[in-house]
Amino acid sequence: MKSLIVIAVCVGAFIAAPLFIVVPMSFSNAPSFQFPPPGYWLGYYEQYFTDYHWTIPTANSFIIATATMLLTMALVVPAAFGLARNRFFGRSLVNYLIMAPLMVPHIVVALAYYLFFGPLHLTGTHLGVILAHTCLSVPVAFLIVTATLKGFDRNLERAAMSLGAGPMATFFYVTLPVLRPGFLVGALFAFLHSFDETTVAIFIAGGTAATLPRKMFEAIRLESDPVIAVVSTLLLGLVLAGTVISVFVRQRNEKKATMYAD
Amino acid sequence: MRRPLVRAWMLVAPVMVFLAVTFLFPLLEIFVLSVSGTNHWADAYVEFFTTDFYNIILLRTFGIAFFVTVFCLLLAYPLAYVIVRVGGGLGFGLLLIVAMSFWTSFLVRIFAWLVILGNRGPVVGVLEWFAPGDAPEVLFTRFSVVIGLVHGMIPFMVMAIYASMRKIDPNNLRAAASLGATPLQGFRHVFLPLSLPGVVNGCTLVFIICAGFYVTPVLLGGAQDQMIAGLIGQQIEELLEWEAASAMAMVLLFAILVLYALYNRFVGLDKLWG
Amino acid sequence: MAKITNSSSITPIRRRTFIKSTAAVAGLIAAPNIIRPAWAKGETLYINTWGGVWTKSATEAFIAPFSKETGIEVKTLSPVSFAKLKAQVRTGKYEWDATTQGIPDCARALRENLLEPVGKVVDPAKLSPGAINYNGIKSHALGTALTYRKDKFPNGGPQSWADFWDVEKFPGNRSMYNNASRVLPAALQADGVPRDKLYPLDLDRAFRKLDEIKPHIKVWWKQGSQSEQLLRDGEVDMIQMWNGRAANVQSQGVDAEIVWNGAEILMVNWIVVRGTPRADLAWRYIQSAHQAERQATFASLMKYGPANPKAFEYIDEKLAKTLPTYPDNAKVAYTPDPDWTGANMGEMVKRFNRWLAS
Repeated sequence: MKSLIVIAVCVGAFIAAPLFIVVPMSFSNAPSFQFPPPGYWLGYYEQYFTDYHWTIPTANSFIIATATMLLTMALVVPAAFGLARNRFFGRSLVNYLIMAPLMVPHIVVALAYYLFFGPLHLTGTHLGVILAHTCLSVPVAFLIVTATLKGFDRNLERAAMSLGAGPMATFFYVTLPVLRPGFLVGALFAFLHSFDETTVAIFIAGGTAATLPRKMFEAIRLESDPVIAVVSTLLLGLVLAGTVISVFVRQRNEKKATMYAD
Repeated sequence: MRRPLVRAWMLVAPVMVFLAVTFLFPLLEIFVLSVSGTNHWADAYVEFFTTDFYNIILLRTFGIAFFVTVFCLLLAYPLAYVIVRVGGGLGFGLLLIVAMSFWTSFLVRIFAWLVILGNRGPVVGVLEWFAPGDAPEVLFTRFSVVIGLVHGMIPFMVMAIYASMRKIDPNNLRAAASLGATPLQGFRHVFLPLSLPGVVNGCTLVFIICAGFYVTPVLLGGAQDQMIAGLIGQQIEELLEWEAASAMAMVLLFAILVLYALYNRFVGLDKLWG
Repeated sequence: MAKITNSSSITPIRRRTFIKSTAAVAGLIAAPNIIRPAWAKGETLYINTWGGVWTKSATEAFIAPFSKETGIEVKTLSPVSFAKLKAQVRTGKYEWDATTQGIPDCARALRENLLEPVGKVVDPAKLSPGAINYNGIKSHALGTALTYRKDKFPNGGPQSWADFWDVEKFPGNRSMYNNASRVLPAALQADGVPRDKLYPLDLDRAFRKLDEIKPHIKVWWKQGSQSEQLLRDGEVDMIQMWNGRAANVQSQGVDAEIVWNGAEILMVNWIVVRGTPRADLAWRYIQSAHQAERQATFASLMKYGPANPKAFEYIDEKLAKTLPTYPDNAKVAYTPDPDWTGANMGEMVKRFNRWLAS
């Protein structure tokens, strides 16, 4: 068992250690990727926050991910209710279609949108990227929302109805509050799925609709632009913060649960 | 009986229409494009399957995906095992590391490897120290592609295996031990078989994602390490041979759908995403 | 009379301030406005640039003075890509309006009907004679030359493409430009074809020669900044690269030598993508970029030879010697045949890509 633990820790180090190399790199003053850095400064941070080649894609990514999240949830929530609470002919077919975008390689999707959006003048537009990202986010959000719905005890609704609540009141005062955390997680996943999406964005999010991952891809491939280290550090910081917060939230919830249990 | 049916369809209709228009139709379009050769409908496919160059790329793609899957499995299994069986602070910490890597953009991870494996990075620095002037190339080789992909895919593998290991009741192992099984026998005959569904899930996911992956080989590989996704990208961006690109995309898609079908036949597709 | 003039001149100013402050407030409130203040007004020109030091130099020499003089906002977008030019014409969706391409690519683009004819806003009298060709206006001459790290070759480095191919005499890591029209002539010269007999290129012979060097090429670079990084970081000891990028690496303190022998000297045009709604704006910009002083500034920053001969009035001998157009440099170099290359580019690129990836 000891040797297994050693192996596991080594694998953990292999997973984690490379990530953190981006932090010292972001303060490097070298014009190219050199480690350890020859000297330190904040110049590339300044460039990231002031150069429009970086600020526009950053803003675009937030806007596109937010819109994708809203559109995805608007499509997924009704569909999840429809599928979870009814048995009907063609139900599994609907299920397959909703999951299909998860099964097709992104490069194939990218090619399809590249050709489809061209004549519609949607390449290089925010709308085009939002539509594409929504397609890819639908299955992810759907899985989470469906799982939430499956765990929902419908007796709560029946109880509310029997106490005289109408269907609308039941939905807004009983169903939604119980399901809200699951929906929020689904929405978060849709947001992150869009925010992280790279391959499709590379091919259709050109010009003024460029997203951050696309810009990062180009910064690596075309320019060897050291600003990429700054972006990487900031993104890593966000992930770290998210992980810490989720751990705290979980612990708090567990505490609450044990309190109620007592 | 009719009313709920209508209501269900109304709830489902928006997403169906949306996906039909913005997903199925574009895919259908590239399928049509792939079978609209000027001389014969299958021109693009005939060229694809009769040109050595394309066959090499196809074999290379599946070869790399296979090796990446195997390496991922070898690294992920012990890690998931320790997370589940040892648990505690160590297990939780390792699980957090995996989750963090999972949520970190592929591009950040690729950039990290570019620095680590680059000519002025730590790996070459150490190699130079041992063999001055004779250090082997590491970046822009098959090696850097595989290591970048393994690092990128390993969270998927760990998560899949972890999910199935967590369901294993420790009492099974205790029962085996009380019946006189050594820990190794208990692992071989009880734990391992029960964890296999996770292994199958992880391998299927990793292989499929790898086979169609674009970013890593393009950024970490040399000209001779390109996989089929990179080739499709080149057809779109540089050569504008959209017919050939469509045919390749269809070949890739078909290969992947076959894998999904096999998985569905033996395991059931609904288990893949848990 | 005076009163009237007075009042009428005040109102617009007041109105403008009002509009401005309203716009500022609206900008703060409406987040999406952060990303689209510019093209909402319609007076933004998008220029496609080659990235890195090129973008910086072109911004300083051409773009900033043009913006200052006309008040038109100009944004730069990288990278340059022939495919993008084609895709924009095909789809009618324009990410950028003007770009620069070597004359052979302009010839190819013209054959494929991708270029806007030189606009009526351009006054030929303000250009140097012969500046207009292939639907473009000449900008500068670019050298693509063998460059090596002098510190890696203390006893003398490679002096020709034949030396570049000689891996016994000149061991070391090599890199070439991932570009068929640059690599094939180099291979033919290495195989003994004289500079003036290169065209039409003997492709079979060139690829046979390329087979010899392929295992020794560590990286086939695609973008200028990448070639700089390879040379600067010592990832390669010799490389085929643009002289302006090599000069930039030299200026960063790297001991590199440009070998003009066998180099390609290529005239580069400013061109406008066909059908763009901002074509007139683009041509105004291009005309301004042909001014002698701006051309001289670009030459001093980028070390490319100005297409406007008058620019040399602003260029001293020391700078002139580093330019591809300097007689000592030009006489040992070759210029590509634009029409042959333009006509055969598609086939060359296809064959080259396959050769490269297998």
